[in-house]
Amino acid sequence: MALGVNGLSVKWSHHSILGFTDSETVMLDLDDMSFRSVKYWSLRTMNWFQLGGFIILKSSDRCYHVVFNRKVSWTQNMSVVAWVSLLSHNKDLHRWLEMQCIKQASTLRIGPKRQKPSPRIVYKYGEQNGQIEGFLKYRRMIKRIMKTMGEPD
Amino acid sequence: MSHLEACQVSKKIAVYGVYETKARVPVPQRYVKKRAAYSYMRRGKLVTAREGKQRYWKKPIREKKVEAKGRYEFKGSGKELYKAVAKAHTYMPRDYIEVPAKEFLEKPEEYGVRGEWVEREVESP
Repeated sequence: MALGVNGLSVKWSHHSILGFTDSETVMLDLDDMSFRSVKYWSLRTMNWFQLGGFIILKSSDRCYHVVFNRKVSWTQNMSVVAWVSLLSHNKDLHRWLEMQCIKQASTLRIGPKRQKPSPRIVYKYGEQNGQIEGFLKYRRMIKRIMKTMGEPD
Repeated sequence: MSHLEACQVSKKIAVYGVYETKARVPVPQRYVKKRAAYSYMRRGKLVTAREGKQRYWKKPIREKKVEAKGRYEFKGSGKELYKAVAKAHTYMPRDYIEVPAKEFLEKPEEYGVRGEWVEREVESP
């Protein structure tokens, strides 16, 4: 199901970046990739690891985030990300994977970053009632926080 | 959400970036006093000072504005998280801080230092 661009219209002028961190949700940060490739790798990963469903968020030009629906352990999570990283030959994803391993949890950006706007949902597929629901709940919460805080003093 | 539940939840809100804060840092010293050539005793030997110059120290550690990177990972319920994110704009994280929002709100100065976030290029989280 392809969707229209659903961006966050909240103005955020603070220089800190807000993100969502979780160790039990499979998340991918696919940079420098076409939407077609992102969709291909998301579908292939979902089928291979039986992850139920996924959403794709566009963070900037040729940069996408993917969140999967099934709850997994941290070791399973890293196994999935490493599998995609190895087969897709995406160097940015490999670097992102290394950083997540150091932190022992995956993080995706929710708020804007310098000139880049907040990531917006561009595609949904399969079940959405598991980890995706949790991700969207936190996304809404962060969006509300940003809206309330608004402009800096 | 109780404090214990907040600690067990795997989902967190990350606040990260580059910030400016005041810190006591060592300053390179290049101060030399002009002096008439002089001699002094050191370990029982007579030493003549070179060319009438003497190096001296002038506040080797000073308070300066420094840039640093840091990250908070907050766990907790909605209201606490909101307050913690608001507070995170005054107290900058010392490196990587993973803390329940409630605990951070009680003692923010224990986890962070006063400063302000600045706009710099930050790598993907």
